[in-house]
Amino acid sequence: MMSPQIALHDPVFRAYLWIVLFSLIAGGALLALLKWGFKKETSSMWRTYCSWLIMAPLALLVVFAGRIPTIIGVMLLAIFGFKEFARASGLYRDWWMTGAVYAGIVTVGVASLMLQPHGEEPGSGWYGFFVATPVFAIALILLIPILRNRARGELQGVSLAIVGFVYIGWMFGHLGFLANTNNAYGFICYIVFATELNDVAAFTFGRLFGRHPLRSKISPSKTWEGALGALGVSMLLPWLFRFSFPFFSVWQLVLTGLIVGIGGQLGDLSISVIKRDIGTKDMAATIPGHGGILDRIDSLIFVAPMFMHMAGYYYPLR
Amino acid sequence: MKRWRYDSANDLDRTLVERLRRFPREPDMLVYGLRSLGALIIRAWLRAYHRFEIIGHENIRTNRSLVIVANHCSHLDTLCLLAALPLRKLHRAFPAAASDYFFQSIPRLWIAAVVVNALPFARQIHVRQSLSLCEQLLANPGTILVIFPEGTRSTTGETQEFKCGIGALVAGRDVAVVPCFIDGSFRAWPKGRRLPRPKRVRLIVGTPRNYRSRNTDKIDISAIAAELREAVSKLHQTNESH
Repeated sequence: MMSPQIALHDPVFRAYLWIVLFSLIAGGALLALLKWGFKKETSSMWRTYCSWLIMAPLALLVVFAGRIPTIIGVMLLAIFGFKEFARASGLYRDWWMTGAVYAGIVTVGVASLMLQPHGEEPGSGWYGFFVATPVFAIALILLIPILRNRARGELQGVSLAIVGFVYIGWMFGHLGFLANTNNAYGFICYIVFATELNDVAAFTFGRLFGRHPLRSKISPSKTWEGALGALGVSMLLPWLFRFSFPFFSVWQLVLTGLIVGIGGQLGDLSISVIKRDIGTKDMAATIPGHGGILDRIDSLIFVAPMFMHMAGYYYPLR
Repeated sequence: MKRWRYDSANDLDRTLVERLRRFPREPDMLVYGLRSLGALIIRAWLRAYHRFEIIGHENIRTNRSLVIVANHCSHLDTLCLLAALPLRKLHRAFPAAASDYFFQSIPRLWIAAVVVNALPFARQIHVRQSLSLCEQLLANPGTILVIFPEGTRSTTGETQEFKCGIGALVAGRDVAVVPCFIDGSFRAWPKGRRLPRPKRVRLIVGTPRNYRSRNTDKIDISAIAAELREAVSKLHQTNESH
């Protein structure tokens, strides 16, 4: 139920167009004020902001283009995000393992794209298979050492591949599956916007009031003040943006706020654990001012599946 | 439990463009795929548009390291030489390309790094460094170096003097050196012309030579360069187009 014609007339999608436009302008104005008004050093923030100027319209364009582009877009993000993980962890040197994870990610995409399988309630996407893809992907990954008759050092490759698939391919893939839901525009636009805003809020509150390190051994720059400030913003946002899911009750709005506020931070921290252990600062240098693709999508990895299953518990998804 | 060792890629902190400019480049599935696809298209193009043919193909069918030496008067030369190699060896075949010409602007860099798998050769300032890079590559078995010892494209179609660097690279080294002559590329796509003309192009592959017993002094090095030029011209004369 996503297509350019529907998007044009969909009040929720149109509202997000204006919200994103407004946020970009407001962000730019704020940075300009900091730079010329308060004479602060803002060059690194400008680079981050300029990347947003490209990423945000691109994301809106993909959602505008419809269900299939959205699912394929999420799949490509997962593939290139996983590639960064694989290059950083050294898994990429093993092309068979990497290829198996790619195959798994494509399977997640295909399961999301499929139309109305028999034996399930009607609706786009093969939900049952989608949530079962880890079974098949892990089986494929475990098959590779057997096929090439090799055992030495294989456990590390297998483990990295499974983490990579489940974490980046499947959990993040839930964002694509949300395109099949009845309220696709509201759900997708809300969780992407709210999660990214949560990141920005954590950064801003951390910069302004940050004193106490949140997890000193994982990410020294994150602070309790930043995390709590971001949680506050995320708890408030579902009420402000209630038009995205007008049928949500108060309890569901609270859950949405908690999922975005806590899940976003956890996603960020789990990628930090991986980066810390590997010993790299960013996963890659693909996006100027942000690091790699994975550094950008990391907060969505926890939020997307938790939000989808929370909504699916209360309402029929498709 | 023993700690894992992570064998990260060496260019994690580089941007995409810097990663292409770096050498040696990290292997990349997407790049390998695009390169193979590009090679198929280029081969089809050469066959159809330039009626490309290869004489003496058996001379480069080996799994050992090779240095391919050829005359140079067109961008087609590199493509012809690469078209003579099997697809799977393409990723270990490095045509030496002028770093001042191919590794500056992004479109050229993209073609040089992705399609051609070129080795950035600093022909003006750091010749010695570039040569030692070539030597390191040759130390691995199965490396193919494609070198145009004239140093630039000929503007007349005649083969110019060979630079001594090629002699320094192969003297005293146990590596097969294959002289090749590319016939017709000057007529098809000379320097300064925007697009190629549909003229016939032939690649003549000579018999491999070995300079392992030669000294690395100046006299021998320039002698080798002259001998190789002689071998390349001879291929032209004995296979005069009819």
